[in-house]
Amino acid sequence: MSKQFSRRDFLKLAGVGAATTAILTGCGPASRLVRREPYLQMPEYTYNGLSTYYATTCRECAAGCGLVVRTSQGRAIKAEGNANNPLNLGKTCARGQATLQGLYNPNRVRGAIKHKRGDRLYDTAADPFNDEFPDAASNMDWDAATQVVAESLKNNKPEEIAFLMGMAPDHLFDLATDLANATGITAPVRFGALSMFESRATLNKAAQNLFGQSGLPFFDVGGAQVVFSFGANFLETWLSPVSYTRGFSALREGKTKLRGTFVQFEARMSSTAGKADEWVALRPGTEAMVALAIGRLAAESLGITTPKVFADVDPMDAASKSGIKLETLEHLAQMFANSNGALAIPGGAALGQSNGLAVAEAVLALNALAGNFGKPGGVFFSALAPNQTAYQQPASAQEMADFVQKMIDGKIKVLFVHGVNPVFELPAALNFMGATKSVSQIISFATFPDETAVEADYIFPDHHGLESWGYQRVATGSKESVLSGAQPVVTPFYDTRATADVLIAAAQLAGGKFASALPFKDEVEFLQSKIAPLMSESNGFFEAADINTFAAFFQQYGGWWKTIDGRNVPNGANALNRSISAAESKFAGDGKFFLVPFVSPTLAEAGANKPWLQELPDPTTTVMWNTWVEINPATADEMGLADNDVVQITSDAGVLELPVYRYPAIRPDTIAIPFGQGHTAYGRYAEKRGANPTDLIGQNYNEAGDLAFAGMKVKVEKTGRKQALSRLESLMGVYGVGLGEEH
Amino acid sequence: MIRPEEIKLSADQSGKWGMVIDQDICTGCQACVAACAMENNISFVGEADSGYGRSMHWIRIERFWEGEYPEIKMTPNQPMLCQQCGSATCEPVCPAFATVHSQAEQLNVQVYNRCVGTRYCANNCPYQVRSFNWRDYKRPEPLPNQFNPDVTVRRRGIMEKCTFCIQRIHKAQDKAKSEAREVLDGEFTTACAQACPADAIVFGRVDDPESLVSQLAHRNHGVKHLEELGTLPNVTYFKGG
Repeated sequence: MSKQFSRRDFLKLAGVGAATTAILTGCGPASRLVRREPYLQMPEYTYNGLSTYYATTCRECAAGCGLVVRTSQGRAIKAEGNANNPLNLGKTCARGQATLQGLYNPNRVRGAIKHKRGDRLYDTAADPFNDEFPDAASNMDWDAATQVVAESLKNNKPEEIAFLMGMAPDHLFDLATDLANATGITAPVRFGALSMFESRATLNKAAQNLFGQSGLPFFDVGGAQVVFSFGANFLETWLSPVSYTRGFSALREGKTKLRGTFVQFEARMSSTAGKADEWVALRPGTEAMVALAIGRLAAESLGITTPKVFADVDPMDAASKSGIKLETLEHLAQMFANSNGALAIPGGAALGQSNGLAVAEAVLALNALAGNFGKPGGVFFSALAPNQTAYQQPASAQEMADFVQKMIDGKIKVLFVHGVNPVFELPAALNFMGATKSVSQIISFATFPDETAVEADYIFPDHHGLESWGYQRVATGSKESVLSGAQPVVTPFYDTRATADVLIAAAQLAGGKFASALPFKDEVEFLQSKIAPLMSESNGFFEAADINTFAAFFQQYGGWWKTIDGRNVPNGANALNRSISAAESKFAGDGKFFLVPFVSPTLAEAGANKPWLQELPDPTTTVMWNTWVEINPATADEMGLADNDVVQITSDAGVLELPVYRYPAIRPDTIAIPFGQGHTAYGRYAEKRGANPTDLIGQNYNEAGDLAFAGMKVKVEKTGRKQALSRLESLMGVYGVGLGEEH
Repeated sequence: MIRPEEIKLSADQSGKWGMVIDQDICTGCQACVAACAMENNISFVGEADSGYGRSMHWIRIERFWEGEYPEIKMTPNQPMLCQQCGSATCEPVCPAFATVHSQAEQLNVQVYNRCVGTRYCANNCPYQVRSFNWRDYKRPEPLPNQFNPDVTVRRRGIMEKCTFCIQRIHKAQDKAKSEAREVLDGEFTTACAQACPADAIVFGRVDDPESLVSQLAHRNHGVKHLEELGTLPNVTYFKGG
């Protein structure tokens, strides 16, 4: 790593092996940051009007899609998918597209701040769209910040120090894990609202029970002929939506086969179910029973002995309890049995119930009946990422509750929070907010002024993902084993600092075992130490003899991946030879309505502060900028509810008031609320907008420890007030409607 | 009714760009809408104005309902954008010649600095795909750092609409010209097509029978919206099923 090496020389060198690609390595080992210059003063490597492209990794969710960002004079202009990355093959979702509105968001944490808990991190304004809105000023320098981190590491018992981290980025998680392993600090805990609503723990546990192996199942939608999905919203936010959408496209296009059929089982038609050929609106809580009944009927239709797993269920009973006609069940079972490429997917709200584990097992057992393990269009175990030896599961809601209890018991003195916003994302019933009072020091590394940062004593902001180094392991979605690489595409806009650099510097300052745990000069050196072992692995997308060249290629191509199929075949030998309970799930509360909270397909967990994501119409309701409650029109008529009437929704755990959207594709006994809004901080576009349905969710878990978020029954009452929802439908070019006032 | 193959391709129609949208695989995920807004410096308008129908989506996903619960179906998602009509109804009504037909690209172009904001064109567009800048929508610092330098930033009183990413067309043409060749099929694409995770949108030259978009557009089940109006749209839809 020579200091004399100029950036231009480096780029020349990096270009030798890859003259055909236009993507540049952002920063060689010699120059680690891209500079942003005024348009009048051009950096030597840019030409007027010509763009420079950098490969990096999207941080809007944890899937790890590769991006190529177009920059012009040091400004990021447009994010596109990285066509080389096997996970997303050049494609992005809406949230990936809007990542630049995070980078250039007018409300970010602009520097290190010593902060009084509860104080606002930006000013208030009467008109958030037009008034000036200054962010809180930095009141300490980074040397002092590093000192604070070093002292909290040094002056506390290791077991009283805890890291709470988000699902991305993985390199920082690895760094914190290394630090914890070497010093006795509690192992970092990872959590994200998406993983909670995906019910990842349940999926993993079911796979473990059926196949005797831990891992995240991969469903090859693209190769299948008939797909039955029980609640999995795989075209929206589930696990890896871009890759699953590509699979769906292949299912439908049927280039090498017939057009595939897709059936979705859920009480509320999600935008995934909207694409289904058949939507089966079963009664919430009967998913396991229905899956088992279909298995039994399918086995009968095939003329084979009913496998043990399906033997105990009575299809007549299942039909009457689920509200599905027996003929429908028979027709679906025949469709499943007679296809030579049937696939069943469990996910989402179907697993977020008290019997979620039984649902997941029952649906996976259908795949055993179809015999699709390891075949095209079947079930696999996702390939482990390159520098990974076992599947890493994020904390389930139950484990988060245990974590909160540790905080309340005073077992955690110092809490470091990065990449997650537990005050907003965890249900209020888990009382994370109350537990913060028992933690003497909270240090947040938040990029944005979110609710958890507001409760912190110090905020030492990390760069935005597009200003950051790093890598993300692709947990599922690609055949190949993929490590997506991240590099800064622009100079950090504010006086932020990479959390990895802060931790490395603080560990050095703390000395002793801390210093020897992280013996690196900076984040880049740490990253190189983590990717260096890949040089000796075979079947790589590229090879290099020395680490500098390897790291340059890693940046240039946006990561490293294998060129062979790395998925494992589940062992389904015993999957049919066990019993699964067909009992209905239990619901908390005595209200009349089943509550289905779902993740907003456009906002997800962290999109609310990006104005264009707010202005994207919800794919099913077309509502923008707010939260609504979906009620079947027949039910609404009974209750005398029109669109925009505000209702009060009461559960065991809380109360919410929301305007009604009369949604024609939901069961009359069910209501649904999107998750993503309801912020009390997080910048001008997110704050004071909509409501957070997790306020209604109580502390109920399934056997795998996942939150039974879809296991509530709630009361709905009319308030008599109205709140107009802004929506795209029926308003195009129509005057005199809308918010009801002249503009 | 005019079928695509009956449209005679004369010399002055060379360079004709078109699009094919497969509604059967469109998932309505809104990636195209976001991509379009990011590429083309489109303003967001906020909750009140968007509720009033003033949001500025150059492309929107339409979905309709068929039937009633429980026999209800969502119609295939329908991305709706400027159809770049060969005989556009918006063009003859503009008193300022701001919306004109480009001979070079065979596109329906909007000349922002001619537009005086009469909104006649939007009233006359059967597809309702034009959006009007009712205000100077504020984009606070540092959001303007994201502006695409290839696309004009519009201000209040200007009509705007999908351009088929004409800045990308020109860039590709300039590059091809400097390399003394024709633009290759698939060499570049529009922002919406590039983002689409389902590959439901295909863009290219419809006057080149070898291009992917031509091949698709001449499949039998392609339809053009409101073609009975004689607008000769350049976007072909597959209804799916």
